Amino acid sequence: MNIFVPIKSVIDVDLNIRVQDGKVVEDGMSYIISKWDETAVEAALQLKEAVDGEVTVISIGGDKAGESLRKALAMGADKAIHVNDPATAGSDAAGYAKILATVLKRGAFDLVITGKQAQDTDMGATGAMLAELLDVPQVANVIKVEPQGDGAALRINRLGHQGQEVLEVKLPALFSANDSLNEPRLASLRGIMAAKKKPLELLTLSDLGIDPGEVGAAGARVKVLEFQPPKSRAAGKKFEGDDEEVTREVMNLLANEAKIFA
Amino acid sequence: MSKILVVADTKGSDVRKPTLELLTKTRADGLDTDVVVIGHGVKKNADLLAGQGAKTVYVADDPSLEIFSAGAYAAAVAEAVKQAQPAQVWLTVSELGRALGPTVAAKLGAGYIGDAATIELNGDDVVVTRPAMATKVQQRMTFNGGGVKVLGIRSGAFDAEEQPAGSANVVDLPAPPADPRVSVKELVQEDTGEIDLGEAPTVVSVGRGVKGQDGVEFVRPLVKELGAAYGASRAVVDSGWMPYNSQVGQTGRVVTPDVYFAIGISGAIQHLAGMSGSKLIIAVNKDPDAPIFSVADYGIVADLFKAVPVMIEEVKKHKGG
Repeated sequence: MNIFVPIKSVIDVDLNIRVQDGKVVEDGMSYIISKWDETAVEAALQLKEAVDGEVTVISIGGDKAGESLRKALAMGADKAIHVNDPATAGSDAAGYAKILATVLKRGAFDLVITGKQAQDTDMGATGAMLAELLDVPQVANVIKVEPQGDGAALRINRLGHQGQEVLEVKLPALFSANDSLNEPRLASLRGIMAAKKKPLELLTLSDLGIDPGEVGAAGARVKVLEFQPPKSRAAGKKFEGDDEEVTREVMNLLANEAKIFA
Repeated sequence: MSKILVVADTKGSDVRKPTLELLTKTRADGLDTDVVVIGHGVKKNADLLAGQGAKTVYVADDPSLEIFSAGAYAAAVAEAVKQAQPAQVWLTVSELGRALGPTVAAKLGAGYIGDAATIELNGDDVVVTRPAMATKVQQRMTFNGGGVKVLGIRSGAFDAEEQPAGSANVVDLPAPPADPRVSVKELVQEDTGEIDLGEAPTVVSVGRGVKGQDGVEFVRPLVKELGAAYGASRAVVDSGWMPYNSQVGQTGRVVTPDVYFAIGISGAIQHLAGMSGSKLIIAVNKDPDAPIFSVADYGIVADLFKAVPVMIEEVKKHKGG
């Protein structure tokens, strides 16, 4: 099974994020593989272990994308593709999807696995657009996946509007992982050493035959005008003391002050 | 005047509340609006949608559409777009609708912005704000260039108004051909008729503090007394104490109820991202430094196993029961 996992390098959003002059302050920020892309890599590694396959990770960007690829190789991915071209900066999901589709269409693929959403945009659009461009079935919100037959199909549990749905999907296909799908493995020291020798292919837009005007900020169909600090809530009141007494006090306030039982 | 095509968000054969929120918004702004509703047994919603302001209701109603498929649903939307010729397509960002918006956009060669919390319309221009980075920032975004604009909107971004049913102008769309590559094997109904998290005016959620399935059941009478929907943090769902679709959070359900009780929940940013839009938040946690208290309007520092029975008593009292 030939499995491809696009990964994105993002600011570590667990850190304190500051906005200044309409931009996110990059000074002092560290970058990581988007957490749910790691879930996707883990899913790929588990499938590869089950049915004998190959996992290729792809990232678009500069040095940080390269670092993310090395980390994914250290987790156990077999190959990496790094699209490194300044003209990709400012791409929207459609731009990323176009580049990824072009990379994937160069050869054969059985499965593309994406994370639910990138931790910086939280949008979750790229995978769906990519599936459409590749004309493969897509399944989102996947919480369980098992190969069927020799790996010609997958049995997938996803979360729908009414509960879990179990689908069988013939490959080639794309699915996006819900964050509950698995717990990504940590790279071992051996994995980190081995990663240095694994193939990492560097590509530019010209290598892919993509017109720079169609991707990056130049080709983006949507754009960010500015970043703003988050919406804040006014501070509330905290009640400490005897457990039962403070509870009763707050319940009375909810009835009389906040009037929630009206 | 710019036309909007609203894609109805459905659960089974019913249209969900977020669709009424979108239509209330388009109605309030005096926008020319059509609706496309896709699924099985969904045609019955046409008059409801007309009453909410839909000029034409495009219906793709077929057994093959009962289970969501991004490809099939996007094909139906594209057909409605071809006929309705809207300037914008609006969808609700729901568990599955999240994938539909971008799929439609890719099919149309259009731009897509998702999770819009506010929308500013200025002639053909659309500017939205949306949360990003686990709600630690907001992004103000807009579309570049012409062509159809596809917008995914957060549920609870607008209020929904009840309206009497109208008399729909229905256009039936052919069902797209079934995709031989995907087959539905089983439906595991998890929410056995329980109140939907996305629609309930009151939500009670529990976190790791309930310690297990027994704890989940311990709090359930409070949920019932309040007539609330029952939600959970990711820790609870991952431990298997509650079903997956009860997870409230950045990667679970985003809820905006009138009242939200967070019980035994520490308040990690990923959970807050799913509920900080609630109108009133009450938290119960025995750790006075739990981050949940930074968003709670009323914070009860107490052992939930002592607090919850008192809460049940008080709710009964105040409801006059």
